[in-house]
Amino acid sequence: MWRRIIIVFAKEVKDNIRDRRSLLVALIYPLMGPILLGLMMTMAASVVSGGGEGESKFTLHVQGAEYGPALIAYLEDKGVVIAPAPKDPRESVRLGRVNIVLAISGNFSEMFDAGRTASVQVISNPSRLPGLTALNRVASLLGGFNILIWGRRLADEDIDMKVLRPLSIDSVNVGAITHITDILLFMVPPLIIFNVFMGGVYLAIDTTSGERERGSLEPLLINPIERWGLMLGKFLAALLFTAVAVLVQLAAFKMVFNTMGGPDSPFAQILSIPTLLGIIMTLAPLMMLAVGAQFIIATVTRSFKEAQTYLGLLPLAPALPGLVMVLSPVEAEKWMMAIPTFSQTLLLGQFVRGESVELLNVVISMSSSTALALVLIACAAGLYAREELIFGG
Amino acid sequence: MIEVTALRKSFKSVAALDGVDFTARNGEVTGLIGPNGAGKTTALRIIYTVMRPDSGNARVDGFDVVADRRSVQQRIGVLPDSRGLYPRLTAREHVRYYGRLHGLDGAELENRIDKLVETLGLGEFADRRAKGFSKGQARKVALARALVHEPPNLLLDEPTNGLDIASSRAVHRLIRNIRDQGRCVLFCSHIMREVAAICDRIVIIAHGKIAACGTPAELLEQTGKPDLEEMFLDVTGGEAGW
Repeated sequence: MWRRIIIVFAKEVKDNIRDRRSLLVALIYPLMGPILLGLMMTMAASVVSGGGEGESKFTLHVQGAEYGPALIAYLEDKGVVIAPAPKDPRESVRLGRVNIVLAISGNFSEMFDAGRTASVQVISNPSRLPGLTALNRVASLLGGFNILIWGRRLADEDIDMKVLRPLSIDSVNVGAITHITDILLFMVPPLIIFNVFMGGVYLAIDTTSGERERGSLEPLLINPIERWGLMLGKFLAALLFTAVAVLVQLAAFKMVFNTMGGPDSPFAQILSIPTLLGIIMTLAPLMMLAVGAQFIIATVTRSFKEAQTYLGLLPLAPALPGLVMVLSPVEAEKWMMAIPTFSQTLLLGQFVRGESVELLNVVISMSSSTALALVLIACAAGLYAREELIFGG
Repeated sequence: MIEVTALRKSFKSVAALDGVDFTARNGEVTGLIGPNGAGKTTALRIIYTVMRPDSGNARVDGFDVVADRRSVQQRIGVLPDSRGLYPRLTAREHVRYYGRLHGLDGAELENRIDKLVETLGLGEFADRRAKGFSKGQARKVALARALVHEPPNLLLDEPTNGLDIASSRAVHRLIRNIRDQGRCVLFCSHIMREVAAICDRIVIIAHGKIAACGTPAELLEQTGKPDLEEMFLDVTGGEAGW
């Protein structure tokens, strides 16, 4: 029997390698998630690092720079590049043409030199992320200038600055670049789960409802092979395509993480080889489960199009909990490991974020998913044995 | 040899077969004919094992189609009503796939494929993918894959349906050759001229029952009709099947 199962498997693999649509789903679709995530992470990282202390040159558009030479000198000393403000600063900031404008009032020097309060205006637009980071930067620069001048004026009066400064604040942000990208890492599990349910879907449809619609199923059933064997050969071919899609996607994620910021960046540590092996092991039962579900749907639907409609929706359901967890993460608990797709979402999250993964959790997840996968495969085999197989429904 | 005894099969409340008996002998072409919806395809489907009878039985070379399904499958070659091909496989790959499923392999299988390519005239398109094959070309491939394991019993559901005259004649020649080798051919058709030309015995089925059975000459004599078409209308009640 196994010899015949392998014959069916080999035929389906060969047939579908020649099919551009099957290859597209297995080789190209899986790249979309990693590419999208890479772009989002690169953008997020560049925005955040642009606002960090002592980072790349910060350009500040100043209106009336000539009125406040002391302030301009201080800013230039801090490495700020001073540029003239656009004609209509408010409009320009609102439209995002410039991130922020500092307007120095005409009597700045007069008030400043007299030891009184001189005024400046900061025109910002915090509704845009670059505007928000620029505002933080300017606020901290102006605060620094305030303290400097305070100190000088108090020294003139022989008062120690420390008396008026009970608290010295040093901010140490260990999250730095990874803060925003941490959130993006939560998107990795749902993208992988989606792919697991998508990778072999075309093959599942083509080998069952597609075969029926072409009229090639009935003659095939007359060959001396048990129906469950026929189903298993086709199932294994779809499983292979699913596995290829998952491997392609993991490789793409690995490449994206490695190329972002070079080997020293925190991303290069994500998805090390042992982690990848852990992920593949965790996903193996889910792949069987996904293909089993696809075969059941492809068997009971009457046409290729009907199967395509249902199977197009199938990946969304298991990916949903993961998508929700992007916004509100869940602490993994033992009972959750018994829920197929949900447990994998949690475990993949732990793997990707480099948290410690409990072996027992992996074992519970794998066994519960394998059990359900076997039930689904048995159901699919049962459906294959029915007379209605040749008609569908 | 195919023996069918008291075969019954219903779909929901509709009786497709209501106690059908007939025999198709070796070295003969048996024509199973009847109006549309008479139960021909259902009878064939039970014999070629994709359906189970509600009661009664069918035997191929003595093997029961339900109890000894695998043995029956090894002894039959079938051209069913639905005979689609795989658009991305070549003609030769189609035949090879079925040959392998019948346990053939290596040089023996390749020799058989070469022989079928020659007999059925697949030469021109043997290594082309099936997408874009004409009806005639597709039919030849479907026949080749049904014959690759050299089955002693051949079941053909309207094998010339949609073919041009030359292709139909080629199919008739093939059927006669197979009969002359002493094999059993069970053949479904609507075309009385075709039935008259190649059938040694005729089984007429109407409303799920056997309406008449015998050689063409016997049937004409029994009914006193001048030709098979008249005889057919007489025996089946002359109603349109649809």
